[in-house]
Amino acid sequence: MKKYVISGLLALSFVVAGTSLAGDEFEAAWQAADDKRKEAASMKSEWRDTKKMLDKAKQAAEKGDMDAAMSLVAMAHEQAADGIEQAERESVMWITRVPR
Amino acid sequence: MLRKYAILLGAVMALAWSSTYANPEDDRMAFEKYFTTKFPEVPLNDFQNGIYSVDPVARADWEQIEEFPPYELAIDAGEAEYNKPFANGKSYSDCFGDGAVRGQYPYWDSERKEVITMELAINECRTSNGEEPLRWNKGKIAELSAYMSYISRGQTVDVKIPEDDPEALAAYERGKQFYYTKRGQLNFSCFDCHGTGAGKGVRLEKLSPALGHTTHWPVYRSKWGAVGTLHRRFGGCNRQVRAKNFKSQGQEYRELEYFLTYMSNGHELNGPGARR
Ligand code: HEC
Repeated sequence: MKKYVISGLLALSFVVAGTSLAGDEFEAAWQAADDKRKEAASMKSEWRDTKKMLDKAKQAAEKGDMDAAMSLVAMAHEQAADGIEQAERESVMWITRVPR
Repeated sequence: MLRKYAILLGAVMALAWSSTYANPEDDRMAFEKYFTTKFPEVPLNDFQNGIYSVDPVARADWEQIEEFPPYELAIDAGEAEYNKPFANGKSYSDCFGDGAVRGQYPYWDSERKEVITMELAINECRTSNGEEPLRWNKGKIAELSAYMSYISRGQTVDVKIPEDDPEALAAYERGKQFYYTKRGQLNFSCFDCHGTGAGKGVRLEKLSPALGHTTHWPVYRSKWGAVGTLHRRFGGCNRQVRAKNFKSQGQEYRELEYFLTYMSNGHELNGPGARR
């Protein structure tokens, strides 16, 4: 009996450690994506849905759906990075569209 | 690495393009010519009717709508509000006289170093008299604006960029850059739709030419079911290409308004307007 309890507790502690590891990983990825979003915003090039994706990612993580949460964060990160790249490109290209 | 080269190459091309320096008046004449060349059949003073200047089918509907203009109620509500005294006994007339002042906006305030729009001035009139500011996009501010635009009809757009203040020109240039910059997930600039794309269709709607875009605000839109301000429209157009919109009456949109209104210098004010 005692043996079962111990191994049960051990197993439980692995699970807890596992989720909190996934949780830490999520937090870090979320923060990195949100920083990128803010960088895009500072270049006036934030996209419409990036913040929504990050909000949804938080909700998914709270429900424990880490796969969905991580994939939303990845999408948001990519959008923010694309927005930054767009701003860099446009900072030189915009002028070619001015009628003259 | 490749991306760095692409941007560098772009920079060289852009430099070559811009090497002959343009001033706002050259910009404006080239802008006008772009549209009069593209739509040679449209009289210059018809561009302020937006999409109806280039879409004869929609124009017939619109002319019918204008017989009983849907913005009339807003004008009346705006007039009543305009004449209602503030709690301190003063009123809008202490700020704007008879209120027929649309043609004076937007302008560059050399002391404050910023663009002043009519809506901003309306709210500053309120707060300086101890009243709460109004919300920017619709409701009372759009009604006041409808009344003031209505009694300003026939004035000529005449935005000035004071030559003795380089910061005014810088604000104009920022507005201009904003206009031609691609934004959002769909990667469109304002000009991609309202210049290159003008007269063409997006889904069921045709795109209006940008010349005259600022003459008729606020606008009653059937879609809104009410009058709304120019900055509300800016926000909608930004979101449409899946870019995050900017704050109404924030620096970006005021400078955008400064540039875009300058492009319509010489056109007649004909607000408020009615659009789908
Ligand atoms: C994807 C295409 C698209 C882009 C990009 C776009 N718009 Fe629009 N815009 C529209 C459509 C569609 C309408 C409604 C039909 C019309 O009047 O053209 C509209 C209407 C307007 C109007 C009202 C015209 C009127 O006569 O009342 C203004 C002003 C305007 N846009 C400004 C802008 C500005 C400024 C930008 C850039 C921030 C912009 N638009 C970007 C599609 C676009």
